Amino acid sequence: MPINNISGCIGCGTCVSTCPTDVIRLNKDGKAEIKYPEDCQICHLCRMYCPTDAITITPEKTIPVIVSWG
Amino acid sequence: MAKNISRREFIATAGATAGFAALASMGLYSGWGSNDSDTNSDQLDSKELNCDVLVIGSGMAGLFAAVKAHDAGAKTIMVSKGRLGSSGQTPFAKGIFEFGAQKSNVTLDEFVKQVSESALGTNNPIYTRQMAEHSKARVGELREWGFFDSPLYNKSFNRPIKDRNIPVVERVTITHLIKENGKIAGAAGFSIDAKKIYFFNAKSVILCTGAGGFKPNGFPINDLTHDGTIMAYDIGAKVTGKEWNDGHPGRSINPAACYDGWGDMFEQKPNTTSVSIRHDLGVDMNYMAYQQGNPIKMGHPGEMNNVTLEGGPKRPVLQGSGMESEKRPGGKRPPKGKGAPPGMGGTPVGGSSAGMAIHKSEGLVPINDRCESNIPGLYAAGDALGSYMAGAIYTQIGSSLAGSAVQGGVAGEAAATYASGVKQLELSVDKKKELKDKIFAPLSRDAGYSPAWVTQTLQGIMIPNFVLYIKKANLMQAALAYIEELRDHHMPLLRASDLHELRLAHETANMIVSAEMKLKASLMRTESRCSHYRLDYPETDNDNWQAWINIYKGKDGSMKFEKQAFDSVRRS
Repeated sequence: MPINNISGCIGCGTCVSTCPTDVIRLNKDGKAEIKYPEDCQICHLCRMYCPTDAITITPEKTIPVIVSWG
Repeated sequence: MAKNISRREFIATAGATAGFAALASMGLYSGWGSNDSDTNSDQLDSKELNCDVLVIGSGMAGLFAAVKAHDAGAKTIMVSKGRLGSSGQTPFAKGIFEFGAQKSNVTLDEFVKQVSESALGTNNPIYTRQMAEHSKARVGELREWGFFDSPLYNKSFNRPIKDRNIPVVERVTITHLIKENGKIAGAAGFSIDAKKIYFFNAKSVILCTGAGGFKPNGFPINDLTHDGTIMAYDIGAKVTGKEWNDGHPGRSINPAACYDGWGDMFEQKPNTTSVSIRHDLGVDMNYMAYQQGNPIKMGHPGEMNNVTLEGGPKRPVLQGSGMESEKRPGGKRPPKGKGAPPGMGGTPVGGSSAGMAIHKSEGLVPINDRCESNIPGLYAAGDALGSYMAGAIYTQIGSSLAGSAVQGGVAGEAAATYASGVKQLELSVDKKKELKDKIFAPLSRDAGYSPAWVTQTLQGIMIPNFVLYIKKANLMQAALAYIEELRDHHMPLLRASDLHELRLAHETANMIVSAEMKLKASLMRTESRCSHYRLDYPETDNDNWQAWINIYKGKDGSMKFEKQAFDSVRRS
């Protein structure tokens, strides 16, 4: 899971607009939820911009990763 | 010249590529399926906005394009797929070149000459000089706005934008540029949040849409899918630089975790860089991995395994840089630096930035030094402009960010001047209907291919080292046949169940066209130079290839190619 937990969200929506790949949305209660985790590019911008340090990110991708060599 | 092969022949010769494609198809996503759309496109409203200058993109180039167009008297709007200061590569760029800020014995003339030497002639010295000349002024403005005071750029970017009351429309994906009577007339796209189609009537448009990649696993460029380039190509703009490659590696452990790979770099405040010309991050490591396999131990660029290896990309003579004439990977190395730079420690894997060319070497072809394209009123700046400011290899450290700031400013002023002399064109009802149908087509299909599955298949075809980096005709022909299949039979049938997936569908289509451009341009360039390496044409061919490759859409809709001699861009 890349972005894998949001705890302590105040519903400001900053993470939603900050995410370059549109992974996060506000749910019906006005709180941030991880809607499209497979598109997370693990750039941490949402976490860095979050005013309440509510977001936890781990380094694993949810889908198989294709590289050139390795 | 490489022999053309039939589809049947290539299947026989390209088992490895087919293997990757098959691997992709076994991934998480399903391919063809019914479309459980939660959005009825017939019920979506539209919104229309008018301006003199429309800036598309909100990174460093977009910031200066909007500010300078406004200051030159143009009614300006900025529109972004993301958010001001946190889109594209800008949020992750931490060094900006400032020429002349520190005491240096390098004159402007010498600087341009040294960049040209390192770039083996591939740079456009007009844009190299412009970047250096204007860098100090742009850095000064950034300092005033508080850019150097925080690792996050939204606040400092907002300062000049809010001071000027420039409207910023965020989270709107522009999918089409509009041309009327041979001139640019605006752009159209859709908002993910407002669930609306947006029409912008604009006298002039500046593309600040950045570079592009194939949503690679290792670089934070998954929002950069060549959108600007392909939209412009579709209305007749010339595009260049598709054969070059950015050779950044990633880490073998969790390669997609770019933040972790780059250490705490993303948390750092930005700083300035001074003159330091190199010849870095081409495909040297890809060549070593191809010839001897991984693991390669990484250190500073140029420091690799302590082995002697024949062949590979040549490096130029650089006076005073410690680089050697005719140097090849595994030869004598430059002096040791301060250890591995961010993202380059430990055991590497390749293709961290797959699909992306060298900064400023890929994008719209400029017809002058004012960032103007061949379509009247259409400009581009930063990585969306194929200015060849740095050449087809990384030369001056920090010049990527400086070049985006400088070109944004130049394009902003030029577009404002252009807009002051033309009339606004209104979009006809028929044109709006046509655009709406095109934009929402993936939403309207009852069934289709998942954009994520098609993207993953494209990655499997394009990203392998032996296709994208260590090039040879037969494998590029093989990959091209796959890409043409995606273009002809998958691109027209992409589905989207919601507006998030609609964005992915348009991004996927853009990446397919770009993949075709990359393969065809790489096949055409029958030599090796800078970040383009052909195993079957390993030498630099100065008799035939002191030229850039331009790509444009022919009257019959097919992709056309032409050579343009180095250093042939005229001043305005």
